[in-house]
Amino acid sequence: MVRSTPTDPIDLLGPVQGEVSWFCCGNAWGPCSSTGKGACGTCNSGSLQHAWPNTSDACWNITRPDRCGDALSRRTCGFRHRTTSLCGGGSIVTTIADCGPQTDLFCGERSCCGATCASNRLIDLTPAAYSRIASLSTGLRPCEISTG
Amino acid sequence: MQGIAALQPYVIAAFLLWAALMKLLSRRMRSQAGRTALARLFGPARAVPLLRLVAVAELAVAGVLLAPPSSPWDGTAAAVLSTGFLAYLAYSARAVPDSSCGCLGAHGRPVEWRSFARAGLLLALSVLAVTAGPYPIEPLAVVIAAAEVLALLALSPELDRHWLTPSRQLLVRLTRPLAVREPELIPLETSLRLLYRSPAYCTAAAHLSSDIQDFWDEDGLRYASYAARGRTAVFSIPLYGGAPADVRVALVEEPALRVM
Amino acid sequence: MTTRRQMLKSALLGSGATVVAATAMGSLGPEAAFAAAPDQPEPGVLDPDFAEGRIRSIKDNTLMVLGSNMVFHQIRVVDGTSLWKLGPVGFDQARPGDGLYARGVRMPDGMLAAESVWLNIVNIKGHVRNITNEKIHLDHNGKDVLCHVVPGRSVAVHSDAPPSADLSLLRVGQHVQIMGAWRPDTNEVDIATVFSPH
Repeated sequence: MVRSTPTDPIDLLGPVQGEVSWFCCGNAWGPCSSTGKGACGTCNSGSLQHAWPNTSDACWNITRPDRCGDALSRRTCGFRHRTTSLCGGGSIVTTIADCGPQTDLFCGERSCCGATCASNRLIDLTPAAYSRIASLSTGLRPCEISTG
Repeated sequence: MQGIAALQPYVIAAFLLWAALMKLLSRRMRSQAGRTALARLFGPARAVPLLRLVAVAELAVAGVLLAPPSSPWDGTAAAVLSTGFLAYLAYSARAVPDSSCGCLGAHGRPVEWRSFARAGLLLALSVLAVTAGPYPIEPLAVVIAAAEVLALLALSPELDRHWLTPSRQLLVRLTRPLAVREPELIPLETSLRLLYRSPAYCTAAAHLSSDIQDFWDEDGLRYASYAARGRTAVFSIPLYGGAPADVRVALVEEPALRVM
Repeated sequence: MTTRRQMLKSALLGSGATVVAATAMGSLGPEAAFAAAPDQPEPGVLDPDFAEGRIRSIKDNTLMVLGSNMVFHQIRVVDGTSLWKLGPVGFDQARPGDGLYARGVRMPDGMLAAESVWLNIVNIKGHVRNITNEKIHLDHNGKDVLCHVVPGRSVAVHSDAPPSADLSLLRVGQHVQIMGAWRPDTNEVDIATVFSPH
């Protein structure tokens, strides 16, 4: 992870590695039925979208990636990120549709693929987006995130 | 009865003081004010000022209850405030059922039956406090007051992490309800997690176009097959104590897929 | 099935079958796969090669699915389609009422030729409120979800440690992610994997 000072927003300086998972949204079936359309009001499980931990002050207060050592930049609804699987190299560009994941609740967690590992949950993709770079049944994978 | 009533103002005042101080002093409470029903009903920007306003009302009623001489108006003020709490809970449970009440400290869970029971108990104690006067305090009254305090604490979901969670943790440690019953079974997920960590899977992942299609065990290995853009990828995964580097993969040419 | 399995096994052992590549480490370069990979659709909009919804009916090899956005999908399952329902299952395990996600290729007639179908799959994060007999009581966004441990199926992954069928290291009060299969029209889930940060 490249950083000059602890306060620099890391995704302005280059790609950042972390864990990627998936979440459902858009009043879908099952436990997702109460999730709604997300913080941006546009989230849909079938769309190529993602949740980002720093979409607003209120969002940041919930997710707190800084507690895990990740000072992610403020990015608002609709901003594009590219998520690249560290396992196989497949990538997908998605837009921000929600606030999340709650990075601080999983601080220090690490996922590996081959000899490559990445720590901390930095992004959640919709099922449509996640299934383009990994199978939904993997649940959690290491990835690299850059601006799309 | 009058001896019991004599202690009610103190029980109610202690509870209101605590609730007010949490609202005024807790940074976590302020940071999570946006999740409360107040924020959803009146807008996120008004949540913190409204919480402070409620805290001031709680402090005022607590002051009235504690300041001598006692009068029936003390209990009446507490009863009005408790009725207000009940009305707020009922409205927020109906209008914004996913929001927390913001009653006592930071707490993310929606309004539940215990919140209603707590506000109801406060109302009952307030009605009792209307009859409070400078009566001698009996031992029975002290016991009842202690039971009321315990009931208020038990009916506060905000405090679960201090007593309910540790007691459940202890019970789980003693009873081990998730202990493995059939250790000879090796779940498929165990093999798949080893597979996902393997260099072989990492290498082949970009070729895969489906999730796992089939798996079977043979000669200490678990085989798993995947579609791979018109071909089939088959992996062998050690069943017992293997390392990710022991996983092997082959990409196999098969006849074109046909509709079932 | 046995014949196919023997053919695939022999491919790994290096005899029989038409083996394109076999390796433990990495002669399968990603270049060829990228060349064949589908183009990236417009970010932020519905993915045409993906479907989400609940099965309304099943006709021959086709799942009739009503999406949460009220769009109707016809999803065709072929020989090579993988179906997941707490693990790989056959087409006969798909039932009306099941929720699903499907990825495949959208045909000119609007039908989705499925490569993968995940039935009732959920991936939820939450706070462990209680643990009782082979059950984890999860607080997910303020709602209670009862998660069942399935002997011989459920595993726990504690960060990057090897997975374990022993879930007894999970604690009341901690946060976890649970990937599993929803029991339709209930607040209950059968656990495939519990991800714990420590």
